Amino acid sequence: MIRRFLAAAAFLFLIPAGLHSAGVDVLLVGADDEELKPVLAQMSGAAEQRIVSWTFWSGTLAGHPVVVLRAEGDPLNAVAGTTLGLRHFSPRLVVVFGSARAHDPALAPGDLVVAREFAAFDGMISRVTPEDGGSDPTKWIALPHLLMEPGEKPVPQMRFPADNTALAVASRLHPARGRTAAGVMGSAGQVNREADRIARLRALWGTSTEDAESAHVAGCARLLGVPVAGWCVVDGTAGEAGALVVPFLKEWK
Amino acid sequence: MKRLLLLPLVLAAMALRADDEPSAWMRDKVEVAAAADRPVTVDILVQGAEQLEVDDLVAALHQPQKRAVGPFSFWIGTIGPHRVAVSLTGEGLINCTAATIAGIEEFAPKLIVNQGTSGAQVRYLGLHDIIVGRRALDYGNFTSLPRGPGEGSAPLTWQPVPQRLRDPATGKWTAFPEGFAGDPIALAVAMRTRNPMGRVFAGVIGSAHEVNLELDRVGWSHRTFGMDVEEMESGHVAAIAHAFGVRCIAFRVVSDAPYEHVPFFPLAARATALFTVNFLENLPPMR
Repeated sequence: MIRRFLAAAAFLFLIPAGLHSAGVDVLLVGADDEELKPVLAQMSGAAEQRIVSWTFWSGTLAGHPVVVLRAEGDPLNAVAGTTLGLRHFSPRLVVVFGSARAHDPALAPGDLVVAREFAAFDGMISRVTPEDGGSDPTKWIALPHLLMEPGEKPVPQMRFPADNTALAVASRLHPARGRTAAGVMGSAGQVNREADRIARLRALWGTSTEDAESAHVAGCARLLGVPVAGWCVVDGTAGEAGALVVPFLKEWK
Repeated sequence: MKRLLLLPLVLAAMALRADDEPSAWMRDKVEVAAAADRPVTVDILVQGAEQLEVDDLVAALHQPQKRAVGPFSFWIGTIGPHRVAVSLTGEGLINCTAATIAGIEEFAPKLIVNQGTSGAQVRYLGLHDIIVGRRALDYGNFTSLPRGPGEGSAPLTWQPVPQRLRDPATGKWTAFPEGFAGDPIALAVAMRTRNPMGRVFAGVIGSAHEVNLELDRVGWSHRTFGMDVEEMESGHVAAIAHAFGVRCIAFRVVSDAPYEHVPFFPLAARATALFTVNFLENLPPMR
């Protein structure tokens, strides 16, 4: 609790003076235009704004003042856009959504995974192996992220927790096809199609799914002291996850 | 920063730190800025990921003041003719990307120097040698081909995916397969700067949240990306600097050399910090 308070207090200092007037309720983060289309289509008073290389849309959705970020589908752009979104728009909550590939073999296309936690699974350490000894990712071990906290404190974290209130609301969402399950949304700038590596990643990080930005967005939100939630549709079609944003906002207070 | 080869040991050491505060000498020396909202600009933002990578730089600051921006600490003062903010970014993409954006927006630097430790990816480098980044890139993104259960993993066949950025002026989505070039003026000055503990070479710095100790993959990284050293920040920082139009250079000291069986030596960070102080004293005033 104290740590949460400190992080929240620290965030107040993070907001650059004069960059914004009042905070929005939610920063909504999707990878690309296709994912964002159903969200922007329902937004009233949408105004586009580019901050350096990152594009935002401000407006109202389901009665909430929101900002939408196009995260561009890789960890660096997602973290950069999220950092700017948090600094310039001061949201109360970050929500990241999109399509993902399954790590959990029990998941089927169309299933909705609501994040209980997020894991940025790109951290690894390999074993000392001589030349011609090969390279074997199924023997790599996980390298956690050391998120900074005020006072020069790096804190190792394997997973970033989702906000409990938002998770409860998101868990009541119904996908267009498939079922809803809570799980661990994983991300890295990787497209993993090797079954043995996917099994290893799931064993190391507990991941249910993989995409290219969700856990990095969550890690950035945690770093800067803002609650985060998220969901993904397994092998989702364009806009399938985005279509759940308005139902979520109608229930979230 | 590179590299927690003995991760459990490092984590245990962190847990055992008495108060997790900066070194006692630093608390005595640095004034904590009272007015956190007072605007401050600097010529140069100098970054390190770990306390050991910034301690000597903070010690070299004239009239330092500490400023906290969210979870990040900055120490502001002068070195040589330059007004400098020393930034403790923390390790890896998430920390360094957020810290770089905070540093640019808060202090409007003309140049970013990202410096710290690294693992050699080539045989010619030894402990305490420094690579000045001719270019820096993210080497951690890839796509793999399908393989069924029991068919293993073949990382040397993975297809790299270059970092992409949207051009701020045109919105054009652009790939940077070679990464981002180091600032040519800073590069030239750095190549004339003394490393008190080893040699200096211009080279290629690769960044990912990885510690690679399999020599076949180390060799693959060198062949595929031209990497001389691997670490966890400079390619990401260079991308952000490029987007914001801020000049950038990276310095990386070799703190471990797998070909030479040299394990991680954290105090190598002092070499690159002292080299950076020499560089700042050599660098002509910024315009």
